[in-house]
Amino acid sequence: MATKTPEQINDDLLRPLSGISGRYALSAALLAGVAVAAFCAFFYQAYTGLGVSGLRWPVFWGFYITNFVFWIGLSHAGTLISAILRLSNATWRRPVTRCAEVITVFALSIGAMFPIIHLGRPWLAFWLFPYPSERRIWPNIHSPLLWDFFAINTYLIASVTFLLLPIIPDMALVRDRAAGLRKKIYRALALGWTGTPKQWHRLETAMHVMAIVVIPVAVSVHSIVSWDFAMAPVPMWHSTIFAPYFVCGAIFSGIAALLLAMALLRKFLHLEEYLLPIHFENLGKLLLVMSVLWFYFIFAERLTTWYGNSVGEMPVFWATQHGSYAPLFWTMMFCNFLIPVPILAIRKLRSITGTAIASFTIVIGMWLERFLIIVPSLSHKYLTYSWGTYRPTWVEITITAGTFSGLALLYMIFSKVVPIISIWELKVGLRQVPHSARIIVEPKEVGAD
Amino acid sequence: MAHRWGMVIDLDRCTGCEACVVACRAENNIATVGEEQAGLSRAKHWIRVERYYEGEFPDVKVKFQPVLCQQCDAAPCETVCPTFASYHTGEGLNGQIYNRCIGTRYCANACPYEVRFFNFFNPVWDKPLHLQLNPDVSVRTVGVMEKCTFCVQRIKAGEIQAEAEKRELKDGEIRPACVQSCPPEAMVFGDLNDAESRASRLANSRRRTKLLAELGTRPKVTYLQRDSWHGDENA
Amino acid sequence: MPIPPAIYGLFPDPDSAERGMNALNRAGISPRRIVVMSAEPFDGYSFTQMDERTPMPWLAPMGGLVGGILGFLLARLTQEAYPYPLITGGMPLLAAWPTGIITYECTMLGAVLATVATLLISTKLPNWKPKLYDPEVSHGKILIGVLDPSDAARPEIENRLRGAGAEKVKIIGVSPAS
Repeated sequence: MATKTPEQINDDLLRPLSGISGRYALSAALLAGVAVAAFCAFFYQAYTGLGVSGLRWPVFWGFYITNFVFWIGLSHAGTLISAILRLSNATWRRPVTRCAEVITVFALSIGAMFPIIHLGRPWLAFWLFPYPSERRIWPNIHSPLLWDFFAINTYLIASVTFLLLPIIPDMALVRDRAAGLRKKIYRALALGWTGTPKQWHRLETAMHVMAIVVIPVAVSVHSIVSWDFAMAPVPMWHSTIFAPYFVCGAIFSGIAALLLAMALLRKFLHLEEYLLPIHFENLGKLLLVMSVLWFYFIFAERLTTWYGNSVGEMPVFWATQHGSYAPLFWTMMFCNFLIPVPILAIRKLRSITGTAIASFTIVIGMWLERFLIIVPSLSHKYLTYSWGTYRPTWVEITITAGTFSGLALLYMIFSKVVPIISIWELKVGLRQVPHSARIIVEPKEVGAD
Repeated sequence: MAHRWGMVIDLDRCTGCEACVVACRAENNIATVGEEQAGLSRAKHWIRVERYYEGEFPDVKVKFQPVLCQQCDAAPCETVCPTFASYHTGEGLNGQIYNRCIGTRYCANACPYEVRFFNFFNPVWDKPLHLQLNPDVSVRTVGVMEKCTFCVQRIKAGEIQAEAEKRELKDGEIRPACVQSCPPEAMVFGDLNDAESRASRLANSRRRTKLLAELGTRPKVTYLQRDSWHGDENA
Repeated sequence: MPIPPAIYGLFPDPDSAERGMNALNRAGISPRRIVVMSAEPFDGYSFTQMDERTPMPWLAPMGGLVGGILGFLLARLTQEAYPYPLITGGMPLLAAWPTGIITYECTMLGAVLATVATLLISTKLPNWKPKLYDPEVSHGKILIGVLDPSDAARPEIENRLRGAGAEKVKIIGVSPAS
């Protein structure tokens, strides 16, 4: 990479923006098909009633809230990690930050759709907005769902900004090389960027401020998602460990999603010379730390529950340890800890393929983790008479599949519109010469005096 | 002083006949959901009679426990509702305003007694059942939660009647459908702020228990139950 | 707004741009009339050391303060807006914990919005009007020029830019007859 000239970097990273291959069109069409099916399923559900889902008394939350927590968790890939790497001035971050921030924006948008999808009357979702309505009633700030509303909107605005600001100079870059209609579009997207020192300086200052602000916001978002559960007196929900446990799980699944996305981008956009083994190596180490930390949290949670031996909690505990949810629980333990830890801990296995495999199992495992937090608790609440079960229907499965392909599709479209690696930041990274060491030779001036 | 409605259920009297369940359904326009949906446990029973078995066959004892909304003073269902569909009325009831409900079902998850029910589909009444709908009770639509109201329509009617006649409400004048229909008179409804009401006196019985009292929800339904410590004493 | 007359040189690398800048400075050209454009920030070079003072790090917390106050008021006042108190769960109508959470999120939102607003206003973005620019900048060239040069100074500026290592020198907005 060090041998590349700025012009070669431009060519390499702008190549994906020009032209669409047959393979791209086919996979985009397939993904769009699944996403459209999910939309149809949702409208069918909204028209008929939630009865077409598998929800029932007493399991009133199922796949939808699992997906909500999963996607919001995944959104911690980007902005949070990118902000930490920016603030710690990790030079290797440069090719990674943008593909991470994109995951945040799309995963968060998809995640934020689920509380609406799961509503009994989704057309009234706007009643959560604090606005002076004719009903003379404002939302109830005591409800954790309202905290969600504020936290997710703040995080969404912050992460969209965090993604878009460094894109402006790259849009100017595309603008200057495009022609015709494309030039007009990119001219609009570049906002009239010219690259004066003032613009650069303000942009970098803004990114620095944003990086500081976005970290506590990200932590608060997943804490509040955990409080959706912890604020209710439900066995194994009503726990003080939930906020840090959820934040840890969110970062864990976020890094896994980022590594998976990077591996795919590297292969399909031919970024072998930009997304290097060192990036997978470094993020893989981070993933290893998070995997161990996640195990520590679940161990602490289970140990406390087991010793506490509370009448309300033990049925949930046993249902997951060796009851009807045990197969899922032990699959989760394999996916989140037993498989990834050896892969990520042994240097030889911590290759690009290795980290991608570990990330894949972790993404599955973390989806199961959210399911196992929600459903076993709801189906084993205090009165044994009210114990129940849950089985998803095709509606929930289609909508779930639709969001996965929706994310992939959005990601594909984005990588065709915007360079997926921040070009200007990459170039800055190549010029890591300390200023004090620089000597400027002044040739004799011509025509002066 | 405002009323504070409460109920006492004597489990030693309950025969498990489920007359309360039927009466509640007729009074409150609770739609049946059909065999298939009931099999998915989507039936709506504002009051249900839980059956618990003690002992080994053939020496089995059955215990019945009618469970309805406990009208908690510290109700977990109320705080979690983002739209105030679920809130505390001035008379201490857990109000459920169907028009405000957007169907997050959060209240149902937070409720430890599982007495909240969701309308998975629009309710239908097979003919001629549609002719017996109670005009005093609103019919719920798809996507909203519903639950026991202590027959708030009867409470309001009684209060309005007493006010029109310029008199105090008499104890026992207001009776929710379940209380009215209970053959062994196991259920007593009354004002807990009136220390002399029958419900207040029974609620102080030495046989008193509260369902899941350890959760701190402060229910206003009291169960009376003989146990080995208190012997046969009746209040 | 028409593009102002200008003369500028395109430099291939930051070191020659640095020399070009020094040459203009020595010619006594007011720094206010010098324009620089580049495809990278080039932190640490003196030709980018202009307009570095910004109140942004102060405006962000100020925005946070405003957002926090608004969030606090939203959480407090709206609970009392209904004709009778809507009590839930035996909690006080105005409880500190949830009010704190809403206040916190609004504080952060205020800081974000203040930062973005400061950025857009201070850099005058978005601005799609035609202005002095050269697409060569996108190809890695560094543009250093002088706005509105007097006719007399123009040859000297051109010489200095070339002498410092400018690959091209362009003159715009001046009719050839003058």
